Amino acid sequence: MNTQALGVEYYLAGMRAALDDLPPNEVAEIMEDVEAHVAELSTELGENETLEQRLGSPEQYAQELRQAAGYPPRTERLPVTTKKQLVTRPRVAAWGLAIATAVTLLAGTAVLRQSAILLLPAVLLVLSLALVHDRGPAQQEIMDLPETRKIQQWLTPEEGTPGERALTYLKSLQPAWWLARAGLLGLGAVLLASRDILGFLFIAGIAVLSVFAGPRAKVDRRWLWFSLPASALAIGLLFQVIDVTANNLAYSSSRQVYQPPAMQSYENIYAYDENGKLLTNVLLYDQDGNPINAPRQYYGCNGDDPQPMIPANRYPRPKIDYENGSCYTVAPSVVAPSSTESAPPSSSGSAPSNSVAPTSVSPSK
Amino acid sequence: MDTSQLLKGVLDLAVLAVLRKDDGYGYDVVRRLRAGGLNDVGDASVYGTLRRLYNAGMLTSYVVPSEEGPHRKYYSINETGRARLAESRETWRSFASTLDGLLEEVAA
Repeated sequence: MNTQALGVEYYLAGMRAALDDLPPNEVAEIMEDVEAHVAELSTELGENETLEQRLGSPEQYAQELRQAAGYPPRTERLPVTTKKQLVTRPRVAAWGLAIATAVTLLAGTAVLRQSAILLLPAVLLVLSLALVHDRGPAQQEIMDLPETRKIQQWLTPEEGTPGERALTYLKSLQPAWWLARAGLLGLGAVLLASRDILGFLFIAGIAVLSVFAGPRAKVDRRWLWFSLPASALAIGLLFQVIDVTANNLAYSSSRQVYQPPAMQSYENIYAYDENGKLLTNVLLYDQDGNPINAPRQYYGCNGDDPQPMIPANRYPRPKIDYENGSCYTVAPSVVAPSSTESAPPSSSGSAPSNSVAPTSVSPSK
Repeated sequence: MDTSQLLKGVLDLAVLAVLRKDDGYGYDVVRRLRAGGLNDVGDASVYGTLRRLYNAGMLTSYVVPSEEGPHRKYYSINETGRARLAESRETWRSFASTLDGLLEEVAA
């Protein structure tokens, strides 16, 4: 056998194969020890030394370990079918995690409207974690999947390249992201608090737990089933908050452009009794006893003081006549409304007749 | 005489002994045993022994993340382990003195 070709991964794969009749969680525990061991040893190896020379073949290593640990001798346990299987528990769990994270990201953009939508990814996560929870904190089987290896390759560019420097920098920001994530989740919880108490509690719980989940996931990969979706949820919430804020900004800027219609203004009041008879000399006061004075403008009056209407809250007021360039007050000429029920007179009645200039009906504040 | 045969019987005791003061991860334990004079101890035997002691409830373990390379799983001895260590030590002492006595007679 060409021992020179044995790399760390090959060695570990051989060991895993030699132990695969043992309970998966026990194998996971052993491999956690052995991975660190082989990795450390491989850095100590000399130029032409191989792991096999130091440790014996993976099978020998496994055999010695089994004896010392008191495990039963190796039993052949369907070695072919288990290796060729495409749908394995680690693979299903890994894809479950990936899909649940994606769903959480989408759900995060809608969670403020409908927080129950989070139940879907939550169920996915619980089911997929249940598949591999007994495989130990390292989750080596998932890390060994071809698809996971591809991702790892992307995430470990060659040293010195800009990509590698950028990734190193991003990694240094991780603790800051954990705090930002908790902040975003907390904000989401607060926004829900007033109308959805269950959603508030759920997201607030995630926010608190997420602070611990970040560092924990570094040690125990099973925390990724919490940490990754929590990040997705935080990002989804961020999108939604940006969306809502942008809408509000657009709304407020549109308000500046389109002025709301001015309040209807009036300059005279005609009061009728139940028989449709026009009441004259009616004095109007508000609830505080202040006279209610209809606004009145005197544009176009030439110097002469238009006879002041005192008291100004006596209705109907005299009209102003602008003929001849000076202002007079004239008695109102009003047509009684046709029906006693419709209190205000028709527009032709209420609008001052042809003697009033248009300027006098311009709205005022 | 092949010491590896002798070692098999007492590796438990040796591993518990080197963990008595400080926690250690697997390769750490291997190094301590070798530094203590057990040059023939096999890496895999130590790792197997750690697993057995752990499964027997004499050790606890915790993982410490490492910047480069895989995480290290540290083992620490608990009360059960300490009790076993004290007990095994007595057994070993009396066994060793018995054997010493036998060997003295042979030599005499």
